[in-house]
Amino acid sequence: MRHEYIDRYARLDSPVHRLPPGLKLAIALALVISTVMVPISAIPYFAACALLLLIVIFLAHLPFRFVALRLLTLEPLAGGVGILALMQHDGLLMLIRILVKSNLCLLTMIVLSNTTPFDGILGVLRSLRVPQLLVTVLALMYRYVFLLIDQSERMTRARKSRTFAPRRGGRWKTAAGIVGQLFIRSTERAERIYAAMSARGWR
Amino acid sequence: MALMNTLEVRDLSYSYPDGKPALRGVSMHAAGGECVGIVGPNGAGKSTLLLHLNGILPEDDSRQGEVVICGERITNSNLHEVHRMVGLLFQDPDDQLFCPTVSEDVAFGPAQFGFPAAEIDRIVRESLRQVGLEGFERRSPHHLSGGEKQRVCLAGILACNPSILVLDEPTSDLDPRGRRELARLIRGLPATRVIASHDLELVLDLCSRVYLLDGGEVVASGAAAEILSDEELMVAHGLEKPHSLQHRHPHT
Repeated sequence: MRHEYIDRYARLDSPVHRLPPGLKLAIALALVISTVMVPISAIPYFAACALLLLIVIFLAHLPFRFVALRLLTLEPLAGGVGILALMQHDGLLMLIRILVKSNLCLLTMIVLSNTTPFDGILGVLRSLRVPQLLVTVLALMYRYVFLLIDQSERMTRARKSRTFAPRRGGRWKTAAGIVGQLFIRSTERAERIYAAMSARGWR
Repeated sequence: MALMNTLEVRDLSYSYPDGKPALRGVSMHAAGGECVGIVGPNGAGKSTLLLHLNGILPEDDSRQGEVVICGERITNSNLHEVHRMVGLLFQDPDDQLFCPTVSEDVAFGPAQFGFPAAEIDRIVRESLRQVGLEGFERRSPHHLSGGEKQRVCLAGILACNPSILVLDEPTSDLDPRGRRELARLIRGLPATRVIASHDLELVLDLCSRVYLLDGGEVVASGAAAEILSDEELMVAHGLEKPHSLQHRHPHT
């Protein structure tokens, strides 16, 4: 199975990877917040941000292709909102604003998640006294998102192997079926995980 | 102490939330240090019975009868002690490995029971050594093979130092080598053990006594070799006589 979509490069060894997770998290958050706050007319700021991220990507030995692909996968979200903004007065400016800001924020997060192992980030959250329940939920999410990806891949493969005459309508229907199945299986799994947690003293 | 590490189920009945009966008047027991097998076809109620042994299923109207652990009846008020005394290995390792790293997972039980950090570190190292996975501390569960996952699960339970170990299909995901290693590991444990499995050779190998469960009822119980070699009984309940009991010549 391939488990490489989300944080494939998180455990590389580079100067960036060796930085303490807390520092990286703080810088990333500061970058995101300032990117959201700074007015779009501050072109030098955005250019500097992009340059900084590119330098970090280079120093961390992250392949540019991988980063670009990740960004592209997330683009429909940002792009969709941007296109909706076009309907408004001054829409073009709004579109540019949304695209620049969201792409910088997404890029920051992609770089963070691929230079910092997730348990490092969780450790920082714990030491910052983020409520234990929230940290546990994040940890569980991280643990099971891979399983969900695997499961949906297996189901898609099983569907493909039994599809003889592909029709567009049929494909949407089976896709909906797979999503429904995933939901049911996830609820059932959640119950079993809770049982397993209780069995080892969780309360 | 006569009641040390003992387990007793008295006339236990249970229905699923939809009202379908899952267990009907099951009684069983395990003496201290004994290894007891539970066999039966799919849907016989094996897993449901095992969940009761750890007090996972709540005491309410859907449940009658009682489960007694080390002389103490499981009620809704002593569940925490029961969780500590009874270690439960679940069928699907992915359900049980819910932490981001192996060491956090093994440490989960001891941390819940409030052990100091240094002690937890020692327990984690010792438990991983016991299952032969030294150096796996920082690994993520989703990068492990099926056999490794199963062993991490077992380490997570051994870390809680239970007096009774309850195993649900421990070998279903394992290759022959993994199965052999797990069997050796289970045999060497001092705790009282209850194993539910379709792996009849394993049951025959490890367990002194077995209970045959079908339709939520105990249909037969007795010495493992005796029950498992009763071909008519086994086939009638969706099982088979283990290969090693088929022939008269000794298997060497």
